Amino acid sequence: MVKEECKALLDALNKVTACYRHMVLTIGGTSDSQNLREELKKTRQKAQELAVANRNKLTTVLKDKTVSKEDKAEFERLWVIFSTCLEILEIDMRRALELGHEFPLNVPKKHLIQTGMSGGTSGVAARAMSVQNMKYEAEHNIDVVDLKDLENEINQVGEMMYEMEMKVNVPQWTVEAKQDPGAELKSTISVGASSIGMISVEENKSFCDISKVLAGIIFTAVLIIAIVLAVCVVKLS
Amino acid sequence: MTVTRLDQGQRYRPRMAFLKKIETLMMEMQSPDTGIKTQTQTVMVASIPHAVTGNDIMQWILQRLQITAEEALHLGDLFVKYGYIYPLQEPKNLTLKADGSLYRFQTPYFWPVQSWAADDTDYAIYLAKKNIKRKGILEEYEKEHYNMLNQKINYKWDFVIMQAKEQYKAGKERKKEDRYALDCQERAYWLVNRTPPGMLDALEYGLDRVTDPSENKKNTMEFYRREIMYYQQAILKTRVKSSVSLGGIVKYSEQFLSSDPILSGCLPSNPWISDDPDFWDLNAKLVEVPTRMRVERWAFNFSELIRDPKGRQNFQLFLKKEFSGENLGFWEACEDLKYGDQSKVKEKAEEIYKLFLAPGARRWINIDGKTMGITVKGLEHPHRYVLDAAQTHIYMLMKKDSYGRYLKSPIYKEMLAKAVVPQEGVKKSTGLFGRRHLRSSPSPIILRQQEEEAKAREAANTVDITQVMSKLDRRNQLQKEAAPK
Repeated sequence: MVKEECKALLDALNKVTACYRHMVLTIGGTSDSQNLREELKKTRQKAQELAVANRNKLTTVLKDKTVSKEDKAEFERLWVIFSTCLEILEIDMRRALELGHEFPLNVPKKHLIQTGMSGGTSGVAARAMSVQNMKYEAEHNIDVVDLKDLENEINQVGEMMYEMEMKVNVPQWTVEAKQDPGAELKSTISVGASSIGMISVEENKSFCDISKVLAGIIFTAVLIIAIVLAVCVVKLS
Repeated sequence: MTVTRLDQGQRYRPRMAFLKKIETLMMEMQSPDTGIKTQTQTVMVASIPHAVTGNDIMQWILQRLQITAEEALHLGDLFVKYGYIYPLQEPKNLTLKADGSLYRFQTPYFWPVQSWAADDTDYAIYLAKKNIKRKGILEEYEKEHYNMLNQKINYKWDFVIMQAKEQYKAGKERKKEDRYALDCQERAYWLVNRTPPGMLDALEYGLDRVTDPSENKKNTMEFYRREIMYYQQAILKTRVKSSVSLGGIVKYSEQFLSSDPILSGCLPSNPWISDDPDFWDLNAKLVEVPTRMRVERWAFNFSELIRDPKGRQNFQLFLKKEFSGENLGFWEACEDLKYGDQSKVKEKAEEIYKLFLAPGARRWINIDGKTMGITVKGLEHPHRYVLDAAQTHIYMLMKKDSYGRYLKSPIYKEMLAKAVVPQEGVKKSTGLFGRRHLRSSPSPIILRQQEEEAKAREAANTVDITQVMSKLDRRNQLQKEAAPK
């Protein structure tokens, strides 16, 4: 029971971290806007709530002495996943702070980098917040105002990580991954949907195909010649 | 687990001041009036904006910075290599071509930063994502990296896979064109930060540094106190006037110019050029007849004489005539103690004491009472440098007293007359069938043994005045004893 809850919480945190990463990627580019900054703020706060919830749950479980050995190993594994997730979140938050300072939105002299992005990130944000549509209600200078909060939150996350290290004694390197290399290939994600993704096909792939086809053709040709010769020999003899 | 301790490791990236400069230029390029004009790139059915031609980039740099075309091309090339601009048509070829080939600007998240290196975990996530997208088709080097990372950060692997899947799913929420642009961006970033084999890694900087260049250290009172102390001590240091020290160097150079083999040529010939080892044979350590240059050098100053083993030998002959041979013997014994085995230090020091310093010793040296007192006290706990004071005293004695007389003595003059001046060498013909005679010099072990035997013979043969005196005394005593009988 507890395990499933922990896993669900961790999955949620994972999802929010991935979405946050996507959004930080667009800061400073042409799809940057006040909306993006607001989305970043909301996603970040959600991530922090989830992180706190995760931490509380996992610390109570790990401090519990009555847990069996296999369960303990499993919870340690979840703990490692949680701490790595938090590290990535912290790094992304720091980058967001730096980029936020570098690219304020309302200054006319500072231009955004023309990165080729034209669409918005509202879909990503909606996925992170688990809502259907995003509502934007912040003021128009949120990009500057938010930076202070961001700094505080980074400090909070840093402190949380430090506390975690001190309180819970889990050596990271003893955890073994459950998934083998290449496990992601066995997933049932439908890949073919993005047609443009297939445009950037590796040259190697096409060469491989061509060489395979060529080999097949040559083989069949040789086979046919062999059969014809055999038939001629039989006929003549 | 974090353990706070004094960090002695080298783990800071060096100052990369060029990054900020490139960033300002990048931002200027975006200006709608003074920046670069952009075009749209058509890929299959979609069109993605904000593509620039290589020629436009180069012209803009030329115009903005007012430099030569070659420099502008090189600078633009650096922008591509550091990952600020990436090529669209040949993604793996990170060079700037001053023609119509298209480039695009990299998103600021993927710009190189001095404080963070590209993380292994991120790279693992990227490779996993690529695996999902391309259904397992990775480049050779990427496959190797994948396997290596799987072993290196195995404990994070579950997270890597989870995050890769989530990032892939989150990416689906964006427009098709944006997804394509994002793919290009990420690929360009990892081409710059994890270069494939054979490509130049422009961000390589050698070793990490020990101190953090971007650290703002607050100077405390302690720091200033230490600084003041340091400067006060520096003022008190004795200094030589530069005119004096420069004059010294000039005099030294003038004196030694003629004996320098590189500046004034060496006789018979430079062995490295003519393959003729005569020069080394003639200047061997204890050769029978030294060269004239060498003997003349002994007259320059005392340290030259004492440095040269042949000079020491000659000087010893002279000192024996003057009945002060024990001085040089003591000096040589002290040198042996200083540079010899650590295990033999104690016994050597005792032997030297018995032979040279004890009252009534066989080869007693004449040093003043104070130095004798210091030395005897030091010998209670002998170490390598225990005889330093006595050795210095004897050295100065020899230098001030005996050296002057030695240079005027017939022994030195004889050596000078005997000294040979080698002829300018003739290039030896290579024998029949072009074979040269290869002579090997004697092994250093054998040379050392010969030296030790010579020393032992010397020691046995030295007749010191005290020995002579003691012999005379004993003879007198015996006679006295014999007489009354």
